[in-house]
Amino acid sequence: MQKHNQKEHLYKLLVIGDLGVGKTSIIKRYVHQNFSPHYRATIGVDFALKVLNWDAETVVRLQLWDIAGQERFGNMTRVYYREAMGAFIVFDVTRPATFEAVTKWKEDLDSKLVLPNGKPVPTVLLANKCDQGIDVLMNNGIKMDQFCKENGFVGWFETSAKENININEASRCLVKHIIASESEPVQSIEPDIIKPHLNSSKIGSCSACFKS
Amino acid sequence: PAALPPAPLGFTDVNLNSRNTYEVSRRRSAPEHLPHGGTAPAEPAPPPQEPAERARHRVGIAGAGSSFAEFFTRNFFTKRTKELKPAVQSAPGWKLFGKVPPRENLPKDSKIIQQEYEARTGRMYKPPLPSARRKNIEFEPLSTTALILEDRPANLPAKSVEEALRHRQEYDEMVAEAKKREIKEAHKRKKIMRERFKQEENIASAMVIWVNEILPNWEGMRATRRVRELWWQGLPPSVRGKVWSLAVGNELNITPELYEIFLSRAKERWKSFSETSSENDIEDAGASVADREASLELIKLDISRTFPSLYIFQKGGPYHDLLHSVLGAYTCYRPDVGYVQGMSFIAAVLILNLEEADAFIAFANLLNKPCQLAFFRVDHSMMLKYFAAFEVFFEENLPKLFLHFKSYSLTPDIYLIDWIFTLYSKSLPLDLACRVWDVFCRDGEEFLFRTGLGILRLYEDILLQMDFIHIAQFLTKLPEDITSEKLFSCIAAIQMQNSNKKWAQVFASLMKDNKEGDKNHSPAPKS
Repeated sequence: MQKHNQKEHLYKLLVIGDLGVGKTSIIKRYVHQNFSPHYRATIGVDFALKVLNWDAETVVRLQLWDIAGQERFGNMTRVYYREAMGAFIVFDVTRPATFEAVTKWKEDLDSKLVLPNGKPVPTVLLANKCDQGIDVLMNNGIKMDQFCKENGFVGWFETSAKENININEASRCLVKHIIASESEPVQSIEPDIIKPHLNSSKIGSCSACFKS
Repeated sequence: PAALPPAPLGFTDVNLNSRNTYEVSRRRSAPEHLPHGGTAPAEPAPPPQEPAERARHRVGIAGAGSSFAEFFTRNFFTKRTKELKPAVQSAPGWKLFGKVPPRENLPKDSKIIQQEYEARTGRMYKPPLPSARRKNIEFEPLSTTALILEDRPANLPAKSVEEALRHRQEYDEMVAEAKKREIKEAHKRKKIMRERFKQEENIASAMVIWVNEILPNWEGMRATRRVRELWWQGLPPSVRGKVWSLAVGNELNITPELYEIFLSRAKERWKSFSETSSENDIEDAGASVADREASLELIKLDISRTFPSLYIFQKGGPYHDLLHSVLGAYTCYRPDVGYVQGMSFIAAVLILNLEEADAFIAFANLLNKPCQLAFFRVDHSMMLKYFAAFEVFFEENLPKLFLHFKSYSLTPDIYLIDWIFTLYSKSLPLDLACRVWDVFCRDGEEFLFRTGLGILRLYEDILLQMDFIHIAQFLTKLPEDITSEKLFSCIAAIQMQNSNKKWAQVFASLMKDNKEGDKNHSPAPKS
């Protein structure tokens, strides 16, 4: 199946966020295409591997690190963050406190991890459990865009692991930014704005991905 | 309705999970009463006459009950398949060849065909046992026989003599093959049954020894060679909780009354928490970190994710409130530690084996052990000491695998954290985890790390073939078919001696190093 001159990328991605926001569920949905309301709590870190046929020449292997959400484990996260290329920060739309914690997670991440070129790793914000009603975010789309810009997220998505909403899209968005940041020259002048070309029109719901 | 007896006692306990059998029985009053009878099927009412002493829960060594159940189900399904078969067969035959009108005698039952064949060949095929015969459906004597032994339809060339002969031969071979398979399977079943009986006998006789000899003379006998050996074999489920309690001890001097005090304190906080949080959730988020961590909200979230497949700790399950109480009381008893993920698994295992207050006492004392305290306080530098000591014995016992892990900079924080935090109750099948706990109670923290090395040894060959991500995935989700015989023989093969130094000495010398050296001691990162 593999073509001779195919390029292969291996990216380590972190999945972080407060306890019980659905990190494991998102990964299970993404990698195994299933959902169960009965996942066990993650202690320490769990792992998954997802292989994407990115385009005709590129295979992307994603190493997903599913990191336990309890604040207490914060001391240990440095070990887990090492050499990651991108991150998802997840919150639960039905629990406002988990959104409050998002900036804390982002700060923790940025303080412990930078790319070889000195910039923060591309991070996508996931508003999970969007199937559970409460269209809080729909009405706050602009605010969310603003929030992401201010806090250095490359995009945000409303997701549902249960209903399989937007998870593939969010991942594509993150990988796209990782690839872009890799090919970017180190002396880039506009560090915060990365131009995604052509694909946002393909997926309607990718509108959350910044186009600026 | 009147209380039903809790299904059969002993080894045919109520089967809540394919792997573990439980006797769901009487508990001390749960703080929050079970909401209703909605969960009744999983929760047979307790027999009122059962003495409290015997109402202890048994995390059974996978009992004979489950296999009987399997056996019956299998037969049940094969029977059904058979019943369905005639309908399928009655479909007009030879449709593939088109145009041929169904012959009036075509929907012949295969049995009749077989009888005809037997009559013709003058032999009798005697099905050995009705049940065994049913089992051979996969081998398909029905349809194949029918086709092979039938003459061809009139519009097709008739079978030649050789062909007919060959078909007869093939049929005979198939029958012989089936018979052989049956005999083999019967042998296998017999052997499994024999082993099971033996196991049950062992458990029964061990129980007598524990109850009559050891427990009455606990302090005098606990350290004797005979008891230690018996202990290694695994504690009989009926004395398990008692022995754990005794071995863990109660140096904190907690009494059941003290537990009640902390429990009522937890309930108060809980009440005020739910009253305030509904109104001003967002302001609440600003509360101090410690408060939030200790909050019962967190416990609530985790309880539903504790042994979810057992359906007994989840909301509405029989032990939901109990687990909630024990954890809640602990956060009030030890606000300096609070609730930390992983605790819910430990408390759950204790609740399965002990009465409520005893479970709390064992829980608090267990978490007060140096290793557990270091981990649950997330004292990272201490944790690294434990990992370093673990790696000393890792290198000593499994040098090849140790280098393999090193080459991927796969450090123990990847897999040991889960194992140590939950004392293997999340990563191993529950009955096996209980056996690990048995010996952990005997040998202390060292056995936790020895078990880890036993697991690595058990899977060494596979792990040597894997790369980083696959090892990490494998170790954070171990195979479910891991058996106690295999694991314990691997654990037994692990030497906890490093150039004449035992675990405690190795650990102590690492602690001394710590005084001079410092945090940068973390396992070396590389490529």
